[in-house]
Amino acid sequence: MLQIKNLKAKIDNKEILKGLNLEIKPGEVHAIMGPNGSGKSTLSNVLSGKKGYNVSGDVTYLNENLLDLEIEERAHKGIFLAFQYPLEIPGVNTNIFLKTSLNAIKKAKGEKELDAIEFLKLVKQKASELKFDEKILSRQLNVGFSGGEKKKNEILQMSILNPKLSILDETDSGLDIDALKIVSEGVNALRSKESSFLIITHYQRLLEYIKPDFVHVLINGQIVKSGGSELALELESKGYESLS
Amino acid sequence: MEQLKIAFDKVIKDLELSDENINSRKKNFNQFVENGFPNKKVEDWKFSDLNQIISTNIENLRFHSDLELSKVDETIFINKFSHNKIIFLNGAISNIDFTHEDETKLSLTRDLNQNENFKEVNPLVSLNNALIASYIRITVKENYSLNKPLVIYNITTKDLKSTVLNLKTDIILEKNSSLRLINLFDDNSENNFINIVQNFDIAKDAILKNYKIDHKINSNIKYCYNNINLEKNSISENFILSTGSKFIKNEVNCNLNDEYSSAFINGIINLTNSQHHEIKTNINHLAENTKSYQLIKSVLNDNAKGIYQGKIYVDSKAQKTNGYQLSKALLLNENTEFDGKPELEIYADDVKCSHGATSGNLDEDAIFYLMSRGLSHQQSKELLINGFLIDAVEKITDEEIKDLIKNMIGITE
Repeated sequence: MLQIKNLKAKIDNKEILKGLNLEIKPGEVHAIMGPNGSGKSTLSNVLSGKKGYNVSGDVTYLNENLLDLEIEERAHKGIFLAFQYPLEIPGVNTNIFLKTSLNAIKKAKGEKELDAIEFLKLVKQKASELKFDEKILSRQLNVGFSGGEKKKNEILQMSILNPKLSILDETDSGLDIDALKIVSEGVNALRSKESSFLIITHYQRLLEYIKPDFVHVLINGQIVKSGGSELALELESKGYESLS
Repeated sequence: MEQLKIAFDKVIKDLELSDENINSRKKNFNQFVENGFPNKKVEDWKFSDLNQIISTNIENLRFHSDLELSKVDETIFINKFSHNKIIFLNGAISNIDFTHEDETKLSLTRDLNQNENFKEVNPLVSLNNALIASYIRITVKENYSLNKPLVIYNITTKDLKSTVLNLKTDIILEKNSSLRLINLFDDNSENNFINIVQNFDIAKDAILKNYKIDHKINSNIKYCYNNINLEKNSISENFILSTGSKFIKNEVNCNLNDEYSSAFINGIINLTNSQHHEIKTNINHLAENTKSYQLIKSVLNDNAKGIYQGKIYVDSKAQKTNGYQLSKALLLNENTEFDGKPELEIYADDVKCSHGATSGNLDEDAIFYLMSRGLSHQQSKELLINGFLIDAVEKITDEEIKDLIKNMIGITE
């Protein structure tokens, strides 16, 4: 599904990703762990197309050169980034935003767009699965949401848009244990043979709930070690120091 | 100026005016002749040099129109709700329709000799006073609230060119009465100067809701002067939608004359190309426990220029005044300009007054967030702009009219 070869990314002439290699096959869950400043968020930004990076290397996604695609085209083709810090957007109603987003993706795929009633039905169902108070969806997008509500809103968007490749950028940070469980259940419900996940996290905690197939350690812009889910436990006890 | 003299002599000769009226007009005429159109050397006009704007946009300016009244295009009427109508066609009153009301509760006059408000506030008001040929005064009697809104249509047709039009309306709300008013411009003409003066006297416990809509793109140049006098416990809610004309300056002078009166002035300036719009307010807190609130949102594209000059004056008698103003502008292009001039002049010591002004560009991170959810750049931009504008629109307390305005500016829900 996704093949990354020798990916380098610079911002303001500072090299952050220094030749990263990674392959994700359909249905796999990969976790990337690493200390602060190792390039985790840069990786998720580059994969979702954020401007401002000087990028080189090869990234192939579903047999296309991902780096040639615009931000919204990547979304249309099934890439979803759950933000570490979801933006507060004053004046934009959450439901309207969700509907615009879903229909933009459906339109790009040549599918029939949902009308208001079909959309509300879908949102109701997904929100209740995530134990998300749907009243919050009539409020302005993320404005005044608690940290947990913002993260749940990201997972709600993910489950409505039903992406092929979901990138979760430190989705566990700022979540209490109950919210962490709900968010994990949301992610696990989306796991299938076709959909893949790239989970970026500092801590092993999230991986107790979402069991990864592979764990990679990102230090100083490169993957220095890869292994199975047991690698996360090893990191938890020994820290990153032992690997750098 | 020769054209001006011809127009003035014609007004004096053709209209049956009392000596008193003629004398007032002469004084005002001389005041305009002395000063001419205001230029940027005049402090109030330093961001909008009207003299230059008129001379570069209008050739051979004439001060009166010979156009006969023609048939009004009824398709331009608001069809979302029924309403009363007054139609100004090329500056002349063509129709008055209060079918939804109990007409014994209203009094109307078009007699120019009963137009008594000839104050020489500034040269443009003086020009209006000197040349006004079509006038209406509406009085809403005590305890009467109109069933339906009143829409004043200001329509110009395409055969009107290079002409100065002067419009004048007086509205008097007696005790405990109320009126919902829309001033709607429908310009099909090019390169004219339209000079509008409206005076509002709002008695005790009365409520005026006044919505001004200049939304149809046109090349006319406009000045609107509103004077509002508020008595005890009365309310004036104003909303200005400023998006249509080449140039428009909306000036609102509001006198909070007695206790517990309040004034709200909210508005949207949304411009493209080389449009240039200004909102200028003077709020005069002249009694205790008076309140004013202003929120102006501006969005500027291309080479557009937007201006907000907001002044809050608090008299030494006006203790416990609550005055607030906020201006926010989005500049979408480096060739746009926004000028803000907030002013507080306070002579009382127990008051709560605040003002704020911000200007900036769209948040690139927000655009990235929206695009990462599949929205195009254009869709993301529109969603953010609507989100920026909506809180000013939400201040409109009349639901029907709020929906009408949301619809006009493309905010859907």
